[in-house]
Amino acid sequence: MENLEALLHGFTIALSGDHIFLMLIGVLLGILVGVLPGLGAPNGVSLLLPLTFGMQPVSAIILLSCMYWGALFGGSVTSILFNIPGEPSSVATTFDGYPMARDGRPTTALATAFGSAAFGALAGVVLITLSASWVAKVALAFGPPEYFAVYFVAFASFVGMGGSPPIKTLVSLAIGFALAAVGIDTVSGSVRLTMGIDELVKGVSFVVAVMGLFGIGELLIAVEDEFHLKAISSKVEWREVFRTLFGLPRYGWVLLRSAAIGCWMGITPGGPTAASFMSYGIAKRFSSRRANFGKGEPEGIIAPETADHAAGTSALLPMLSLGIPGSATAAVMMGGLMIWGLNPGPMLFIEQKDFVWGLIASMYLGNVVAVILVLLTVPIFAALMRVPFFIIAPLIVIICTVGAYSVSNSYLDVVLMMGFGILGYLFKKLHYPLAPLVLATVIGDKAEDAFRQSMLMSRGSLGIFFSNTLVTTLVFLGVALLVLPVIWQALGKMLARSPIRP
Amino acid sequence: MMISRRSLETATALLTGAFGAAVVVSSIGNGIGWSASGVDAGTFPFIVGLIILSGSIFNLVQGWLEAGDILLRPSELKRLAILFIPAAVYVGVIPLIGMYLASAAYVFGALAWHKRGSFVFAGIAAIGTALALYVIFERMFQISLPRGLLGDFGF
Repeated sequence: MENLEALLHGFTIALSGDHIFLMLIGVLLGILVGVLPGLGAPNGVSLLLPLTFGMQPVSAIILLSCMYWGALFGGSVTSILFNIPGEPSSVATTFDGYPMARDGRPTTALATAFGSAAFGALAGVVLITLSASWVAKVALAFGPPEYFAVYFVAFASFVGMGGSPPIKTLVSLAIGFALAAVGIDTVSGSVRLTMGIDELVKGVSFVVAVMGLFGIGELLIAVEDEFHLKAISSKVEWREVFRTLFGLPRYGWVLLRSAAIGCWMGITPGGPTAASFMSYGIAKRFSSRRANFGKGEPEGIIAPETADHAAGTSALLPMLSLGIPGSATAAVMMGGLMIWGLNPGPMLFIEQKDFVWGLIASMYLGNVVAVILVLLTVPIFAALMRVPFFIIAPLIVIICTVGAYSVSNSYLDVVLMMGFGILGYLFKKLHYPLAPLVLATVIGDKAEDAFRQSMLMSRGSLGIFFSNTLVTTLVFLGVALLVLPVIWQALGKMLARSPIRP
Repeated sequence: MMISRRSLETATALLTGAFGAAVVVSSIGNGIGWSASGVDAGTFPFIVGLIILSGSIFNLVQGWLEAGDILLRPSELKRLAILFIPAAVYVGVIPLIGMYLASAAYVFGALAWHKRGSFVFAGIAAIGTALALYVIFERMFQISLPRGLLGDFGF
């Protein structure tokens, strides 16, 4: 009850003309950086930061956090329309969002994504409202072994899925891990796998790999069959947007489960990217329409989008309550907090009630603003799908090139991006799965660091992964996710065989 | 020219295998195993490299044993080349003439060359592309793109 009262007070702060205007500006700029690959929420937030120095802290955080919401929504747009994830966390959305749009249903795909994203964000904010003070305790219990166990669960839920040849899956996953290891090793500080190229010390950026693998790779696949050369002539209909939105409750169970995964991964700093992959993997495993996944299945859009936004929203909780930024964007925002003279941490909730609850209230309003704005722009984005291929193809090449360059002002990244494009084409053509590679590139080094830190703590004993209830549960969950499909398959075969016997 | 599944599988397995071998060799220098500072930096990449290498050998054999059905016909190869070669040239000339000129020329070439394209439209699209890049990156987000020759003339 105390929290609800504080929230109502927060709404009185957030609901002013100035603040609504700031929300609009923030969301619009956020959508822009989200749509452009290479530029992401961290870039946008850092560029706006200097503008906020003269503002009230509440106004400043409203502007920045709304930009973050906008970027989360915008990232899904390019994933669905061009198979280029605008943000790391929207990679899993490409798996089913892009096939659906390609089959002439871009409006349905976008509306499904935005609708479920809004639900995920709402779940995240409700969670923050109810548990703001309690969560600090949970997150404090997380050490390196628990981190590793969370990443292990993320990998397990995604990798054991099957469908692709197992050895090819393994090679793809291992290449991702190797790419994540390139550059400076964060534990020992030594330089790894640069192959004599000094510039590789900065590592292989995830964005560069993804733009090549998905953007250029998909373009090469698409140009092969004449299919793409004809423009998609689907009409954009508002009725379709609403019909999709009102149809979402049919997937209630998927929405709830994905939101729960997202919230859990947001608070325990697994992050939105791991959350969306994990949610997609679990949805695919338990869905009755498993065969449809990867071909434009609505559940395949709902699961990652809901989890992504639930995690993105609830990730602000550890930042505010503990001072641990869950993501790059949260880190930049935390820098802002300190410049405005606030100290993130448990005391923030006691000393700066207006700021904290004003921010939480603005999350409700900001997400509503973001959903409305992004739905209004659906027809514009969907119309892009009707531009003929011979015009869109060079534009995609340019977007990927400029995007790869802008990651760290490096021409080497552009060359790498083209290399990844060829690799993506070969892999796709020969049924190597790309998802394990991408997942390993994103969280591979974090998982490795967590494992090595745990080993340091335990002086080389694996027993540390069974040292308390939390970590043991997580490890067993991961193992179960890996092993269960194999057992089910074996059981299924036995059951199928038994009636034949007399 | 036709390309069979067998040759494409072989080429890909050789590519990933070479990468795996490079990872293995390169990580030996970082130290493998357990030392006073915990798990050595090279251990993890070394194991990963071995997995890539052995997996690639498996895929190589598997791909070689597979039926040699045709994966890429001449018409498909031609379409691939038409997309990829200009894109590679575009990326290749960026250090020389800069991102703006290269992008504009690429858009102009791609649109004017197409049978449905017109020179006027191609010209407008080319200038529009360069301007959009300038406004979004240089102005709004203050990321300066490489200018190549343009930079020499004081732009």
